[in-house]
Amino acid sequence: MTTRREFIQTLGATGALLAGLDACGGGGSSSSGGSGSTPTPTPTPTSPILVIVNIDGGYDWLNVTPPNAGTNLGVYQTKRAALGITNPALLTDLGSGMALNKDFTGMDTLHSLGHVAWIPGIGMPNPNLSHFTSIDLWGQGATVPAGNGWLGRFADTAFSPTGDVLRGLTVTPDLPVMLKGATRSFVSITSAGGYVFPAYLLSSTAVPDATTLETGWGTALSASSTDPGYLAAAQAGKLFFDAQNNPAFGTGGTLTARTTTVPYPGDATYPVLKLSGAALSTSLSAQLKLIAQMIAAGLPAQVYFSRLGGWDTHSNQAVDHPNLQRALGGSIKAFYDDLAAITTTAGIAQDRVLILAYSEFGRRVQENNGGTDHGTAGLAFCVGKSVKGGLYGGYPDLTSLDSNGNMKYTTDFRSLYATVLDHWLGQATSTTDTLLGSAYPRLGFL
Amino acid sequence: MADLTAITSWTLADAQHFARRAGFGLTPADAVALQAQAPGAAIDAWIDGTGAAYDPAAFTAALATADVVLEPLVSANTAVAGSVDVAAVAAPHPFLVQGGDTWRNSLNTAQALLAWRMQHNPHAFEERMALFWHNLFATGWHKVDNTALMLKQIQLFRGQGLAKFDDLLVIVSKDPAMAIWLDSVLNNAAGTNIPNENYAREVMELYSLGADNGYNQADITQLARALSGWSFTFAEADYSINPANPGQKFPADARFKVYDGTTLAPDTRVWWGGAATVSSNLHATGTISLFGQPLDVTTTASGWAKGENAVRSIISARGSNCAQFLAKRLLTHFVTTGYSAQDLTDVATLIQGAAFDLRVVLKTLLKSQFFFGAASRYALVEGPVSWLVRAARMLCPSLASGSGQTPKGYPAWRLVTNSATTFDQMGMKLLDPTGPNGWKEHTAWLNSNTMRYRAKAVAALTLNESRSYNGTTYPLFPTFVTTDWFPTAPTSAQAVYDRLAALLQPAPIPASVSAAWLAALWPTTFTWDSASQTKARELAFLILCSPSGQLY
Repeated sequence: MTTRREFIQTLGATGALLAGLDACGGGGSSSSGGSGSTPTPTPTPTSPILVIVNIDGGYDWLNVTPPNAGTNLGVYQTKRAALGITNPALLTDLGSGMALNKDFTGMDTLHSLGHVAWIPGIGMPNPNLSHFTSIDLWGQGATVPAGNGWLGRFADTAFSPTGDVLRGLTVTPDLPVMLKGATRSFVSITSAGGYVFPAYLLSSTAVPDATTLETGWGTALSASSTDPGYLAAAQAGKLFFDAQNNPAFGTGGTLTARTTTVPYPGDATYPVLKLSGAALSTSLSAQLKLIAQMIAAGLPAQVYFSRLGGWDTHSNQAVDHPNLQRALGGSIKAFYDDLAAITTTAGIAQDRVLILAYSEFGRRVQENNGGTDHGTAGLAFCVGKSVKGGLYGGYPDLTSLDSNGNMKYTTDFRSLYATVLDHWLGQATSTTDTLLGSAYPRLGFL
Repeated sequence: MADLTAITSWTLADAQHFARRAGFGLTPADAVALQAQAPGAAIDAWIDGTGAAYDPAAFTAALATADVVLEPLVSANTAVAGSVDVAAVAAPHPFLVQGGDTWRNSLNTAQALLAWRMQHNPHAFEERMALFWHNLFATGWHKVDNTALMLKQIQLFRGQGLAKFDDLLVIVSKDPAMAIWLDSVLNNAAGTNIPNENYAREVMELYSLGADNGYNQADITQLARALSGWSFTFAEADYSINPANPGQKFPADARFKVYDGTTLAPDTRVWWGGAATVSSNLHATGTISLFGQPLDVTTTASGWAKGENAVRSIISARGSNCAQFLAKRLLTHFVTTGYSAQDLTDVATLIQGAAFDLRVVLKTLLKSQFFFGAASRYALVEGPVSWLVRAARMLCPSLASGSGQTPKGYPAWRLVTNSATTFDQMGMKLLDPTGPNGWKEHTAWLNSNTMRYRAKAVAALTLNESRSYNGTTYPLFPTFVTTDWFPTAPTSAQAVYDRLAALLQPAPIPASVSAAWLAALWPTTFTWDSASQTKARELAFLILCSPSGQLY
């Protein structure tokens, strides 16, 4: 069998891997699948916002944007005899031998508007098929462990060392490695209210001596120390403490209430349901609603992080995967539409937001009994009015799999990061290259 | 290098360090009693649970009858047509998540049961080891969807957590909750079927070797073949049926079986397939190649299940990789993350030398000069469940006292786990980790959100929060400042601080910080009155919320 070292050499020998990354993209006319004219993208806004959507668990993107022509289709039909999505009635043609599963709710509309950049085959050298290694590497923006994440390093560089506490936020309860910097990390905020210390502490009774407690905790958090454990705790506590004191959060520590302007997946009026007829998961829609509320409230955040898990479909994929796609696509579409109704002093939110969705890997081409096991190359996509819609990078060649039956990647994941750092987060080319450790070819979608 | 020779004497601070790490702490008085014994014998007894101090009689009696949770789900849903009404379960009652009540399937109640056990079990070490293994063999209720099977797995850790690791790994591989969690029950490799690799991958990556440590993708596929058909059976009597909706059935118990086409006993079902006495074959046949060695996956030699030889070969063929993996996990949980490569090698050597006998390994490690060294002291951030349980052990009455008995609603771990979703927001959703990799430890426990909810949880404990339920107000954690916290009245603000620090045992707090606290709380003269007793609660809150209070 091919060793991993041989695999790298093979990739090197194929040459054109990194060259001509955007051969299929740019303008989208080659891949808009007959969906009509492509609008001119909106120029990059003055206060851009990046919203990360982490598709957690390694999603089977081969069933999201399956091949629908050529030799790839033949391989797909053979290896996905039970689970494959091949009926044209279930698909929208994207051109270039790639189709879009109609279960990916709303994404066909966004695509036809020319607002989606699809990057199939995105991956990294030496994938080891582990969720956790891959999540770490995607987070770090490196193929060797680096300890902190690409957005954390961006925060180290771009955020004020003593301020900017609300500039990078995650609406998940954890702090992913992607958001950890050497000196700065993101703040985790999972709810719109109850964020003032110490009032939130007790539910039914008033906190005694609230001022003393607040001052006392502030004193403890501010004490300097060379003890790394003490420092770690202090920094985590201090981020919360400073965030809740930030006037941007509003008086009373509760974000201004906001009513969504469109239904989101899981809402009673949302027209799409699970296969069973039950309501879709509200996990991602709740997070994106909170982000919309934060943007509407004028929080000075530049980067938000959200997540939808459940994609590790080793089994029961025929049921779970359509439901997940509906929740993912539907949430992104609803969020995008909802943003059109938000105007702040920084402008119309829909003009300011770029959504970047990624997963730690794709799944094995050959299905097992009812599911798919871990694979390699993935599909990332970006949504936004400034995006030049279309297909970027190359669809993996399913007739040329690696020795484990997995796809060979066609676009290095750091090319995506480099593009976003340069063209959305406003970093100089040299700064981007430093943050990522090397100069990766930029994709052409921004 | 890690000095693994045993200490021969210990100080009170040593004994307290040991009790924090190997249990959930000891009160100052109990720590004095522990320190009065020679460390070797004392640690053996702590780990083995032998001797009067670990007599489970009172705990077991309380567990059997205690109404230690508020349970709003005692009445079944009667909305289903043709259903029958189910009477509320009168208190006192045992936890409503096991046996015949499995159908209630309440995660929060199961979490409360575990937390209550950790708070009160006199043999704290078995709960500590269960928590350690729960993180290592992380299994999640959201997929298993059965609290009884989840709790059965935790009980397995209590009973087998100090077995030989190869035996433990086999038992976990046969555990019903695990079999559902990582799809063993759907792993069909009979004939030309493609096996489901989920468990085979994670059992090596997460449970025994670590990523990229002694195996490759071909080994995963081969191991998946060996473990195909590993499922479980249950008889009709094993079901717990919702009386209000008899179609709703949950297995309350289950027995491991290799689903290989052999005949099932009458009225017995397998999880996969479901139909009574109908059996087909999911198990592969023939010989596989694992770690470069041929292995017959159909043999039952040594009384092993078909394919069991493959699980055991992880340790027999990759012993040094496995020992290194385990050493890393044990060091990270019990000792320090600041270990050197040589320290890791030394502990791995210990593990291999002890032939993976976990009791020998834990006893050696927890008696060692390395464990008690200054560099290991307060070197770890404590996980949130352990942290809250330890505070409750220090501040709440014990079962031995009258106020420590369990009247209705006490101590309401149920409300803590439910209303505030506290364990989840503190970063350790007990019994329900997001993924099979469990929770990262040490500084990964802390971020702005988890600190926020740590403060909220400990406010409930120290500031005497109460909740109203069915018209009655209950304290979440009944605490008694004048009797339990200060059996001797303090005569100064400093004395209040000293006593609370002795109870809560934070890492050293900078003198400037404690001085500022005391000056703010008692700006003028000190009198031990009810106002001061409230301030003592506030001081306990500040200690627990401070950065030093997160270390142990």
